[in-house]
Amino acid sequence: MSRVRLICVLAATCAVCLPAESALAQVRAKADVACRPAGTLQYDCTIVLTNSRTSEPLIGVTLTVGADMPSMPMMHNVRPVKADPGPTPGTYQARLALEMHGDWALQLNLAGPLRDRVLRTLRFDPDRVTPAAATKAPGHKH
Amino acid sequence: MDDYLVSVLSNIGVISFVALSAYLLLLTGEISFGQQAFFAIGAYAAGIATALWGWPLGAALVWGALAGGTAAVLVGLPTLRLHGLYFAVATLAFAETVRLLFEQFRYQVTVDGEQVGPNGTDGFRGIRYIFENDVGSLQFLGLIYALLLAALAAFVLLERSRLGVAFRMIGEDATLAALNGIAVARTKLLAAGLAGALAGVGGGLYAHLTTYVEPRIFDVMLGVHSLAYGLIGGLGTAFGPLLGVLIDIGLLESVRAFAGYRMIIFGGLVALLLILRPRGLLDERVVHRIRRAWFRLLVRPPATERLNRDLP
Repeated sequence: MSRVRLICVLAATCAVCLPAESALAQVRAKADVACRPAGTLQYDCTIVLTNSRTSEPLIGVTLTVGADMPSMPMMHNVRPVKADPGPTPGTYQARLALEMHGDWALQLNLAGPLRDRVLRTLRFDPDRVTPAAATKAPGHKH
Repeated sequence: MDDYLVSVLSNIGVISFVALSAYLLLLTGEISFGQQAFFAIGAYAAGIATALWGWPLGAALVWGALAGGTAAVLVGLPTLRLHGLYFAVATLAFAETVRLLFEQFRYQVTVDGEQVGPNGTDGFRGIRYIFENDVGSLQFLGLIYALLLAALAAFVLLERSRLGVAFRMIGEDATLAALNGIAVARTKLLAAGLAGALAGVGGGLYAHLTTYVEPRIFDVMLGVHSLAYGLIGGLGTAFGPLLGVLIDIGLLESVRAFAGYRMIIFGGLVALLLILRPRGLLDERVVHRIRRAWFRLLVRPPATERLNRDLP
């Protein structure tokens, strides 16, 4: 019984010691993503990053793009690729190599002046990329 | 450390919680295809706590564990009367019901001018605690593994306790356990509650790791995998499910050559092991051998005993 009590005390201590109240008011990134096929299971994505408050383009951030299958979380991951700055401010470009067609949740990880993560779920078909409709389609196709 | 490696290690750590949750029920002889439901409940509960209510992460994780554990006890009350296939189907039905309920669940508040919170099939985005509090990915990885180590330590204590023996006895033969004075229904309910809480902690960590959750993340695939980890890794020790996770995510996912064929290899591996080693790689016999060898290494017999043994 004393062991159980000790575990409870440790858990409560952890709960108190971890960082407190979140700073809710913070600048966030907003992302518009457009992808198109560029070969077998390869897609060129253009990402436009803006400040969610001011709508100004986000420049100078280090952007990496990863992807995860929502229907198979933690099991199908795409190694994140670094996005290169595009021709216009706030625009970034990355080429993704996926494992299969289907719905993928793109993870846009921002580092540098702004640290944030934005997610966009898209459906990657052989000939086009469209916003994923969570209810209508199966998660993935082999 | 490479970001991808941190991400893979984080995934291994998080999914280990749901694997341990399924393992705990396997100890009592019950196969659950529904642990992903408690993972989902923990994820939504902890996500709501930090993103909508502004709670600290620690309290949110405890809240997620409580929500998962309470749900598991409530589900366990009617379903633990069932056994074998019937219990498995009941847990699967419950998990699908939870997933469908989350597809209808909408609870959004305006945070910093944006709508945040669960929004049906669109999921729950904006669980940005780690970004708002500047928690680095390595720090979060440390938190995941600290909690996982705590869970493993609890399992080690459990295995040595009367409760752990009771779990295994029920798993071997519930009637015999009852004849030995074990309150089978109550003990199984406790196991279900602890397993639900464990999955709830994993869910809370997952929500904060990925910053978003959506109902289809918690479909049957996650439940099947969490169960398979214990069956592959072995039921002899709590390290068994972790070995299963390491084989699946650590080896198959990380080695790109396997990536496209991963599910085929994984399915084949499960089938093969169920035939050749029905209780997994680290089954009770192997664990006993390892313990005996380890004990021999650590505790050498006294010199006189060795001398006597060597004499003809």
